[in-house]
Amino acid sequence: MLEISELRKRFAGGPDAPGGKVALDGVGFSVRPGEMYGFVGANGAGKTTTMRIVMGVLQADSGSVSWQGRPLDYDARRRFGYMPEERGLYQKMRVAEQIEYFGRLHGLSAPAAHKATEELMERLGVAERRNEAVQALSLGNQQRVQLAVALVHDPEVLVLDEPFSGLDPIAVDALAGTLQERCRGGVPVIFSSHQLDLVERLCDAVGIVARGRMVASGTVAELRAAESDTLRVVVRDPAPGWADGLPGTVTVNGDRHVLRTTSADDQEVLRRAIKAGRVEHFGVEQPTLTEIFKEAVA
Amino acid sequence: MNGVMLVARREVATQIRTKGFVIGLLVTALVVAAVSFAPKLMDRPDSYTIGTVNSERLPLDRAAPEAKFEWKEFADEATARQAVLDGDVDAVVVGGTKVLADGQLDDELGVLLQSVNREVKLGAAGVSIPPLQMETVGEDARYDSARTGIAVVLVLVLFMLIIGQVSMVAMGVVEEKGSRIVEILLSSIRPWQLLAGKIIGLGVLGLINLVVILGVGLGAAAASGIAADFPPGIGGLVVGVLVWFVLGYAFFATLSAAFASLVSRQEEVGSVITPLTMTIMVTYFVAFYATTDATGTLATVMSYIPPFSSMVMPVRMAATEVPLWQVAASMAAMLVAVLAVLSFGAGVYRRAVLRTGARLKLTEVLRAG
Ligand SMILES: Nc1ncnc2c1ncn2[C@@H]1O[C@H](COP(=O)(O)OP(=O)(O)O)[C@@H](O)[C@H]1O
Ligand SMILES: [Mg+2]
Repeated sequence: MLEISELRKRFAGGPDAPGGKVALDGVGFSVRPGEMYGFVGANGAGKTTTMRIVMGVLQADSGSVSWQGRPLDYDARRRFGYMPEERGLYQKMRVAEQIEYFGRLHGLSAPAAHKATEELMERLGVAERRNEAVQALSLGNQQRVQLAVALVHDPEVLVLDEPFSGLDPIAVDALAGTLQERCRGGVPVIFSSHQLDLVERLCDAVGIVARGRMVASGTVAELRAAESDTLRVVVRDPAPGWADGLPGTVTVNGDRHVLRTTSADDQEVLRRAIKAGRVEHFGVEQPTLTEIFKEAVA
Repeated sequence: MNGVMLVARREVATQIRTKGFVIGLLVTALVVAAVSFAPKLMDRPDSYTIGTVNSERLPLDRAAPEAKFEWKEFADEATARQAVLDGDVDAVVVGGTKVLADGQLDDELGVLLQSVNREVKLGAAGVSIPPLQMETVGEDARYDSARTGIAVVLVLVLFMLIIGQVSMVAMGVVEEKGSRIVEILLSSIRPWQLLAGKIIGLGVLGLINLVVILGVGLGAAAASGIAADFPPGIGGLVVGVLVWFVLGYAFFATLSAAFASLVSRQEEVGSVITPLTMTIMVTYFVAFYATTDATGTLATVMSYIPPFSSMVMPVRMAATEVPLWQVAASMAAMLVAVLAVLSFGAGVYRRAVLRTGARLKLTEVLRAG
């Protein structure tokens, strides 16, 4: 299990922020083997800072990261795979050489790095480009090489910062497939994303961070359970003031009135609605991740 | 250590394949070969064609063994005069008493003819004069011009290689920092490994260049025969130059990497390493001045002060004979400086290389701890 607890990080202040800038103020969550963990939050919430600390690229002011019960050290980290938010590859280096090089830096022997590179290029569809310089590739192919660099040493943990950004839907599916496959092999995968529908579709667990604090963390079902279900009623052309005194909000859309409420007595609401006009919809809705997110960061 | 070697190998492998490196190496080799042959082409041995009319051939080659003499006999003075005017011969000895020449006779040849003629005549009269023995009381000055020439060429080579490799280091650091490759690199190796690997890799390329230059230079000198004019101890000089290159390069390359890690864009590299390139230039100028006055106070003092010693001491070693203890003392001082710079540079690099964005101030980085 990968456990991140109570991370705090303050950046030294520049001329614009003399007191310094608190980027993380107690971020913590844990990811089980084989779990796909979605890390969501608005821009500047602290996702990248958290991932950089996990990868040892930044030092936290306090807090800890542990893997398999032990504090995460340099040697364990070498067996992690990382895709930074700002992609970086040697532009003039050839595709195959580049993937192999990073494999070797992560501790693979030359033959093992070579073999893993061949397999990955085949899988990710860049095998024909093996001898081209990275700068000659399309952006989509560069992303694939970047992913290959994160995967080449068959990592024990994957940490991916916004891996889906800038991908077309087909590439998104391909990447999602690759990640799910690693997950099934028992690898914990953490990725950050803005695309909440994608996170909802792929992830077993989700963490929401806002202004450097964890505001929610758990499985999607747990987060849903924490939110009460919403009763949504649509009444066509009702008598004015039909919902007066009921808790919740009414939005008017043409001659349709939509009532959303989490606390009203549903039988009372139904009686009033039938009396007021034609009931087109009456049902209980589970909150979407987007709603949970908005609720959490509000 | 493995990480260092991997990084160094990547640097060598990617650079050595570029057109720039290969062409650069070929051009330097050609220039060095041309420079080594040039003195021989310009300074050919004297050769004279001398005519005789009713005269003995004077034993000129005994008095001037390096010069070549060709002899022609003429039936009478009139044909000989014509041959002189036509330029077929440089001089004609007539009847063992006079010499014909076109206008002014070549000075050296004139002196030679006079003295050999006198010797032959005196010998015939039974007088023999032992030749004067030459003895020098000052320093052996035979090799002075060769030594100065070697020093000038060496210091230029050191300067070009150091400034070239040092800017490669700076560009490489910024390439990795600006493109954020460092983030992936530093999740698998430590900053000092990345820094050391880069410096070693580019240093090896510099050494390859230097070895080729020295090899081609010495080879061409041997082939053209000017190696005969080289002072003794050239082998020690070659070793010394290699060591001084390594020391000077290590000093400047480490500082270059540290300064370059303060910026994130290639356009800023030039300005951030300007103080360093200026220092290298000043070092070169001091060393160049030392070639003109290798035994002077300035050259002697500067040959102990790092980093100037990295170019001034090789100049002194080439231009004069420097006692070994002096070389060792100067190298020790430089080594201490290199170690100090390494610890300082690695610290700056480690703290700055992940802080992308605006140019960082050195003081700010040092304060950040
Ligand atoms: N190197 C840095 N120096 C100063 N402030 C930083 C630095 N990196 C991040 N920050 C600040 O920390 C906060 C969190 O940033 P980040 O982790 O990149 O957020 P996210 O990835 O969620 O968008 C932001 O306010 C950002 O401006
Ligand atoms: Mg981010």
